[in-house]
Amino acid sequence: MAIEGADIVKAAACLGASISMGLGALGPGIGEGMVAAKACEAIGKNPSEAGLLTRTMLVGQAVTESTGIYSLVVALLLLFVV
Amino acid sequence: MAIDIQTWVNVSAFSGAGIAMGLGAIGAAVAEGNTAASANYAVSRNPSASGEIFKSMLVGQAIAESAAIFALVVAMVLMFSPFPSDSLLWVFVMLAAGISMGFGAIGAAIGSGFPAAAACEGMARQPEMSGPLATNMLIGSAVCQTPAIFALVTSFILMFKDYTGLPLAPTWAAILGAGISTGLSTIGSGVGGGLIARESCLGMARQPLTATTLTNTMLLGQAVTQTPAIYGLLISFMLIFSSSPETAALTPAMALLGAGICMGLGASGPALGIGITGQSAVKAISRNLTAASDITRVMLIGMAVSESTGIYAMVISLCLIFVV
Amino acid sequence: MGELGRIHQLIVPFFGYDLTFNVEAIVMTWIAIIFLLIFGMLAARKKSVIPGPLQVVGELIVGNLFQLTEDTLDKELAKKYGPLICALFLFLVACNWLGIIPFLEEPTKDINTPLALGLLGFFIAHYSGIRTKGLKTYLKHYLEPFFIMLPLNIVSELANVVSISFRLFGNIMGGAIIILVVSYLSYSLVLPPFLNAFFGLFVGTIQAFVFTMLTTVYISLQVK
Repeated sequence: MAIEGADIVKAAACLGASISMGLGALGPGIGEGMVAAKACEAIGKNPSEAGLLTRTMLVGQAVTESTGIYSLVVALLLLFVV
Repeated sequence: MAIDIQTWVNVSAFSGAGIAMGLGAIGAAVAEGNTAASANYAVSRNPSASGEIFKSMLVGQAIAESAAIFALVVAMVLMFSPFPSDSLLWVFVMLAAGISMGFGAIGAAIGSGFPAAAACEGMARQPEMSGPLATNMLIGSAVCQTPAIFALVTSFILMFKDYTGLPLAPTWAAILGAGISTGLSTIGSGVGGGLIARESCLGMARQPLTATTLTNTMLLGQAVTQTPAIYGLLISFMLIFSSSPETAALTPAMALLGAGICMGLGASGPALGIGITGQSAVKAISRNLTAASDITRVMLIGMAVSESTGIYAMVISLCLIFVV
Repeated sequence: MGELGRIHQLIVPFFGYDLTFNVEAIVMTWIAIIFLLIFGMLAARKKSVIPGPLQVVGELIVGNLFQLTEDTLDKELAKKYGPLICALFLFLVACNWLGIIPFLEEPTKDINTPLALGLLGFFIAHYSGIRTKGLKTYLKHYLEPFFIMLPLNIVSELANVVSISFRLFGNIMGGAIIILVVSYLSYSLVLPPFLNAFFGLFVGTIQAFVFTMLTTVYISLQVK
């Protein structure tokens, strides 16, 4: 059995990338769902502002998603750079 | 002391059966307790509707239990069928089948308990709606069972696939990854779909005129909630049916295992988020039917955006399978 | 089960490079386009005040999509982008429904089709953003809230393309694989048509709608 150091490092990078993206997708997914949930309720209460509420929801979700994007960046760096 | 392959296969088959049934019992028990609690509350509120409530409690519990029955089936197959013992690969197959079905039963069972509980409460509030409520509950909890069916399909494919000629070294990780991917990814979809169905039952009892719109919105929301589970299933089929050349290196194995973990974990969060969105959308529609089309549109957009982190997880998994 | 994920490819050597064509996706795309052209011609052939059945369907689809575009963008912009949005939706629906016909496959099952459409939406959104806001305001948006966020802002814009196209690809591919596996496992006559109806018609329509709406939303976020 010749397991080399480089192989172990690469294997750990693969596992690390998967854990980073897997766990990193959990939080933003739930959070963005909550944003959209409140937006739906708000439109139910005040349908005339639907356009504004949709835009606010999208901006809020984009900000919420940023941690997911950090995970994506870290995972891609681990896979293709390290 | 030499332990032959047959012994190891038996060890893992029994452990797999334990995992499948042990984890698989969690969700059904929670859901049935939840339903019974709501039924008690409902009977105390409106004793004259107790017949209808009792009936719908039993039906709802039976549906919630079907996920646990799938787990039982898988556990039985693992324990009693004679599997070949020509390769150590079977050790991982048994474990993966158990993990897939065990985790896969949790979400679906918990999810299908929600609409049953809500239907009981709704019948106490609005006894004349018990017919439509029972139908809506049946549809809603049946859709909640789809993630468990995905897990069942994955387990059966894992157990009855022909593995002759496949190398042990990276294939074990692919098989284990396939089990984890389907198993974990179905948790969120099951619970999320249940949240939507619960709110639609409650809304129907509160505002009987909205019944048709609520059922339609519920089905739409539940269909979108299933998509992360479909991604999990996609990744696990790719893992099961991809063939890698034999290698002693650690990297390909870890990449395949990682693909499963990444997709499994990454799908459960967005699915839950989508479920929360759908729940609120259904609630908003039940309070303000005139805004239904606006709310449905925003719900779909919001769900699609919530799903994007799950899609990043899928992209990373695909990179791990095909690029690394 | 061997054909799972196999793609028919035509590889043409071209001045030292290999050009790869996915024959199936190209042929199926053309079939979808021909279906749409026939539908359009039949629907618009006899335009009358009392419309025929096909004209009603056509007017319903186009009218509703135009209304949605007006709601998301505004009246002025909807005139400009409405045709694009309608065409995108109709094309996607035709593509996603193609799989329910035996021997035909969804062109959206090939990642290149959704990716191309996603890139199309991306470029249109950013081009119209630069047109309406001016290059300076457009570029300044990337430096918010701090200038350090520049690379992350760029990544998050690109991630939108990834998510929009892989969403379509994952759903259609997942549906096709589930149908394939279920038909392989069970020799049931009822199950595959039911699954085909669910994944092909229902999920296909929802995903086409989501793709179209998100493209509209991306345009509106850039423009406003």
